[in-house]
Amino acid sequence: MSKVADQITYETDDPNRIQDVGWTFREIWRRTRGFVVTSVNLIIFFILWEIVTTYGNINSLFLPKASAMFQELWVGMTTRAPEGAVFSGSILDHFLHSFKNLMTGLGIACAIGIPGGLLMGGNKYVESILSPYVWALASLPRIALVPLFILFLGFTTTMQVTIIVLSAVFPIIINAWAGVKTTEKSLLAAAKVFGANRTQLYYKVVLPYTLPFIISGIQQGIGRGLIGVVIAELFGGSNGLGYLIQRSADTFNTAMTFAVLLLLIVMSLSLINFTRWLEAKVAPWRNVNHL
Amino acid sequence: MPASNENIIVAEDLTISYDLHRERKKLIALQNISLDIKKGEFVVLVGPSGCGKTSFINAISGLIPKSGGSVKVRGEEVTAPGPDRAMVFQDYALLPWRTVESNIRLPYELQNLGLSEEEKQDRVKKSLELVDLTGFEKSFPYELSGGMKQRVGIARALATNPDILLADEPFAAIDAMTREAMQAEMERIVMETGQTCVFITHSIDEAILLGDRVVVISYRPGKIKEIVDVDFPRPRMNNSEVKTSKKYAVLRDHIWNLVKDEAMQTTRGE
Repeated sequence: MSKVADQITYETDDPNRIQDVGWTFREIWRRTRGFVVTSVNLIIFFILWEIVTTYGNINSLFLPKASAMFQELWVGMTTRAPEGAVFSGSILDHFLHSFKNLMTGLGIACAIGIPGGLLMGGNKYVESILSPYVWALASLPRIALVPLFILFLGFTTTMQVTIIVLSAVFPIIINAWAGVKTTEKSLLAAAKVFGANRTQLYYKVVLPYTLPFIISGIQQGIGRGLIGVVIAELFGGSNGLGYLIQRSADTFNTAMTFAVLLLLIVMSLSLINFTRWLEAKVAPWRNVNHL
Repeated sequence: MPASNENIIVAEDLTISYDLHRERKKLIALQNISLDIKKGEFVVLVGPSGCGKTSFINAISGLIPKSGGSVKVRGEEVTAPGPDRAMVFQDYALLPWRTVESNIRLPYELQNLGLSEEEKQDRVKKSLELVDLTGFEKSFPYELSGGMKQRVGIARALATNPDILLADEPFAAIDAMTREAMQAEMERIVMETGQTCVFITHSIDEAILLGDRVVVISYRPGKIKEIVDVDFPRPRMNNSEVKTSKKYAVLRDHIWNLVKDEAMQTTRGE
């Protein structure tokens, strides 16, 4: 440092400013509070449900006991249909079918949606050519396409996956597209000033900036995809959770219907929480407030 | 370091305009600006919002095209950004997914400056020392205060060891107290490195305390209204004689009178 620097004093950080407070009861509670409150809340909910259905005058055809639902879920998830069975009453079999379809559909939706959205954001010709189709299909209720795809592909797994892809791909495209378009101008200017060429602008600025947008696109895609799964299976096919809901309701096995609904909720929440965790992991700077 | 007689930046009849597509018109941001900046000089541009100050330094950096005239850096026409010119941004413009150190290393990744890994590490270390951020290498920008973020911005600009430092209202978003500290740092850094600095501000005090020359720019179209020489000895920042002197008050009043009418115009939207 030169003499000039010595003449000027400026603030320095006191290393003792950050002190270790260790584990206090308050700190442990602060970290586990969310989990404890939610668990207690849910336990009370299911106990109330059990009490109401046991002592209230409620037809179990409309609202089964909570315990019956859990029993149905347990049995259904621990047994498999025997080899060569025409119809499986096992929830696990149908769950695996639906889950596999959902994952395949989401995979294809990502493979189309991420590059598609990035291209649309990055190239104004691609954007102007594709955007009318994207908006048209994105605004069309996807359920309206189911009869058409049953006509094209029959009651097949391919039809079910196609519906899932169509449901999930648009939020992914639109989010990736928006991510590229909203990349902060000053970040681009900074990269240019420090020597970035066009390729580097994309790899060093636009892509990392867009990554959290893509993840929230996938998050929305999961929600839509799950709707696609159930719709496709309700309409056509003899497999999957959507079919099982239909079948169990038709055969007045309401406990089974509720068990499948609960499973769908758990599956959807797990997937969405996973993407939230992923989002927080890859983009901690984006302080998004989730509901 | 006192300014030498060698001109490093020469702007001649520089005109910059923007297309307003919707109105099928052209907005002339800067008109016929001619300004010579000497090596090692600290030039401050003041003027009302929207008068084209930013366009001027963007033209020096090579970020935007010229509509007329020329800007030469060391005799060569500016056509694109180059490692001899670095910029400090008002909103810091740090990549939020990169640590402090990684942000400062960005210029090395984007262009080949012919440095070995050791030289790079050495420069990063020196830049961090210069802005007093040693120990924060692994922090992320969102963990830092505004003043600290801008120090990272300055360190990144210094990492390429540029001859010219361009600063576009670097302290505008920083609170008044931190701002004074940052001004002192800026003066110290420029004195230590001997860089030429073109600095934009809205604060007349900042302009007088930092600048060797204060260029007052008029509002739409931006033209040079007057160039005011400031010859207080350096360092000025922690020297209370400067701010309390009669000369300071006279200068301040003079520049305010130049800017006042222009500023009033902008508030009336003319």
